[in-house]
Amino acid sequence: MNQTNISYKQPLLETPFHAKTQERCYAHDWHRWAGYKVAKQYTSAELEYTAIRNTAGVIDITPMHKYSVQGKDAKKFINKLITRNVDNIQPKQVVYALWCNEDGFVVDDGTIFCFDENNFRICSGERNLNWFEDTAIGFDVIIEDISHSIAALAFQGPLSCKILHMLNAKNIENLKPFCFDQFTINNQEITISRTGFSGDLGYELWCEPSQAHNVWDALFSFNKDYKILAAGLDALEMVRVEAGFIVVNADLIAAEHALRPNRMRTPYELGLAWMVNLDKEFFSGKEALIKQKNKGVEKKLIGLDVQGDKPAVGSVLYNESKNKDIGIVTAAMWSPSLKSNIAMGYVDKEFMKLGSKVLAEIYHPEELEYRKIWAQCKVVKKQFITLERRNAVPALI
Amino acid sequence: MSKYDAIIIGGGHNGLVCASYLSKKGYKILILEKNENLGGLVHCASSLKGFSSKILNDLKINLPTLNYKSYVVALHSDQQHTILQENDKNNINFIQSSANEENQKKFSSLINKYKLFASTLSNFMYEVPPRLKSGNSEDTWKLIKMGWKIRKLGKTNMREFLRIVGLNIADELEDNLSDDTLMGLLAHESILGSNLGPRSPGSILSLLYRQAMQNGLFTSEQYDFHQLIPSLEKNCINQGVDIKINASVKKIITTNNQATGVILKNEEKIDAGIIISNADPKTTYFDLLGTEPLDTDFIRRAKNIRTKGNIAKLSITLKDKPIIKNIEKEKMNAKFIYAPGINYIERSFNAIKYDKYNENLCFEFHHCANVIAANIYYVPYVKNTTHAKESLIQQSINSLKPFISNLEIENAELLTPNEIEEKYHVTGGHWHHGDLEIDQMLMMRPFYGSAQYATPIKNLYLCSAGTHPGGGITGINGRNAAKKIMGDKK
Repeated sequence: MNQTNISYKQPLLETPFHAKTQERCYAHDWHRWAGYKVAKQYTSAELEYTAIRNTAGVIDITPMHKYSVQGKDAKKFINKLITRNVDNIQPKQVVYALWCNEDGFVVDDGTIFCFDENNFRICSGERNLNWFEDTAIGFDVIIEDISHSIAALAFQGPLSCKILHMLNAKNIENLKPFCFDQFTINNQEITISRTGFSGDLGYELWCEPSQAHNVWDALFSFNKDYKILAAGLDALEMVRVEAGFIVVNADLIAAEHALRPNRMRTPYELGLAWMVNLDKEFFSGKEALIKQKNKGVEKKLIGLDVQGDKPAVGSVLYNESKNKDIGIVTAAMWSPSLKSNIAMGYVDKEFMKLGSKVLAEIYHPEELEYRKIWAQCKVVKKQFITLERRNAVPALI
Repeated sequence: MSKYDAIIIGGGHNGLVCASYLSKKGYKILILEKNENLGGLVHCASSLKGFSSKILNDLKINLPTLNYKSYVVALHSDQQHTILQENDKNNINFIQSSANEENQKKFSSLINKYKLFASTLSNFMYEVPPRLKSGNSEDTWKLIKMGWKIRKLGKTNMREFLRIVGLNIADELEDNLSDDTLMGLLAHESILGSNLGPRSPGSILSLLYRQAMQNGLFTSEQYDFHQLIPSLEKNCINQGVDIKINASVKKIITTNNQATGVILKNEEKIDAGIIISNADPKTTYFDLLGTEPLDTDFIRRAKNIRTKGNIAKLSITLKDKPIIKNIEKEKMNAKFIYAPGINYIERSFNAIKYDKYNENLCFEFHHCANVIAANIYYVPYVKNTTHAKESLIQQSINSLKPFISNLEIENAELLTPNEIEEKYHVTGGHWHHGDLEIDQMLMMRPFYGSAQYATPIKNLYLCSAGTHPGGGITGINGRNAAKKIMGDKK
């Protein structure tokens, strides 16, 4: 990769996989992501979704922001940054983490890779260099944005392990969830982590940009028998909603981006209380989070089982007598796997309890007219889909 | 049980005042001073005009008073200097001026207008500023009271106050005066000690604020300057305060977000229930406390307060007492200012934006026997490099030369902002521990989240010039901090 300068004077950057993705991108439907263009859909999102849930999908996630954190205070720094405790993290482990500002509002989320005590890597959806550097003042760490020097693929789906196994990734089936290691496939030594955004069995492959084509081709080398597909971001969006994963700046506004103070969200409001470790001596936002924990939340991000088959995209939620709006939908879709209409959204505290009933006001577009639907919704867990194969060790081969 | 109720880090005047107030109420205090001498930046100052007489009364300190009216001389390159003196009614008399009568009149009326507004501001000096959005009724009341004080100026005056409070001094002066020397004189007063030029917005507020702190602009020296620190020290010792000099604090110890003591450079550990830092906010947070227990947003704000000093201290020892051209001997007891016009100052200010200095330096000085003590500005604070000091000294001397007829120099010493930082352990070598501008004042001083003398760490307080009301040798910071601490412990 030589063109790493992002500027409005030049077109969006192409990822190291671009030559390969372009071949398959029948729709030519590109999405702008962190200065790069990546496929939104190759042919059709539903088809790609089906691949992820039934065979495997390959998603180019190179534009994700990646930061290396090195130095003798690296672990201390991570512990100050995030709400979870990484005291006991072992090399080759990954944690999913949130980081908050002083008011306890979520700045961003991401995965943190531990190479050793003094060497970590943080992958996140938003730019965080400034936040990390300011958090690191007074710590003996060097933080570097290495986004452009690592090419990354998400390889998600029930056949993902089988294919990596067939590619002679040694012992890949015993790689535990949220762990990573070095593997050799197609004569290329790359890093593979058992992580992903699909709620399914899946891996993320991290390699040098120069290895990109080789790795891509390898994954597709058994396609005569196993139809795996390149999947775009639309398909990824579908699987992540089913899995109940949140996306910063979609399901919540990042604290550093929000213009209105009441638009920021704390981990408790996101239903991610389990990720906050208040026993830790200190982390950014601790005081505020203790307060919120004691006080309780006013609204919470929950899952909704929506009546009917029309997705409640952007719907406002009401109480049953329709006289008070009590929340909003942040993501909604028809789930092909569950054969049901699902959504994620915020509801006021009176409706947080599982089983609560609310109404979604759906405006369904039908040939230049809207049909207004009052859909009954039941509050359910955000994790709509839980697949045993996701965490099974040894993994399905 | 620890031996001390409170440890004060830094034996500057605010530390001594704070110790005096606390020990008066029975607190057992230890003052730790890094240098050999107490007083810190007081040794850099040249005037005691701002020192609060209220504090001297409270502490029953009798400073020897001076009974003469000092002069203010605005130097002019054609040696037609302007000489002012404050009369008994606290008005300005023109002893000598090349400005026409209209200009003199307008100058006096400007001064009077500022005096009125400054007296409104001075109401806020002795109060712990209210917290915004605390939801506490006491804070809300304080805010309302502050608003009311401004409203009490009357409709016309309040409007005028609100009109000029964000304005730059150059606009205001050019609207009213035409005499360069008088304009330069007032512009000088409004930018000294801040990182502003005459055309920077907010320079009027800086002028009003300084005036509020000093109770006037061209007022006379009341006290013998050299007696302040010894008197405060004596008072402290009489009240049982322990003072340790050459005691450099390495770290403030915290457990569970609570300050419990300090560790000295020699690894000695001293416990105390309260730690009060008279070091500037950046030093306190980044060096003494460490960033570990601080939120990222807090660190950002601490990092971003503007603390770049821009004044160099020049001390010249002459063979004889200095003689200023065209100034009679009895008027030598004066503050001499060379800032001959708005544009001259602005040009000089321009250079500092690029970390350079203009060869046309502005300065003020006074003399004490054979020694001339001068403040030279704008001299930039430059990180990780040194000044071309010899040439800076030469430049300063060249600037002085036209006015002093017997400039036979025996010794010249210059302290650049960098050296002031090093010698007095003040970040940026800034007089006021941070620019006194609207976003770093009152409840925003030193910054949001650290105001009201408190810190996010329990039992750790600030009392330095970095807190409200700001720098200058006033002692008010120390007093207010002591009041706040006693209030919290009730």
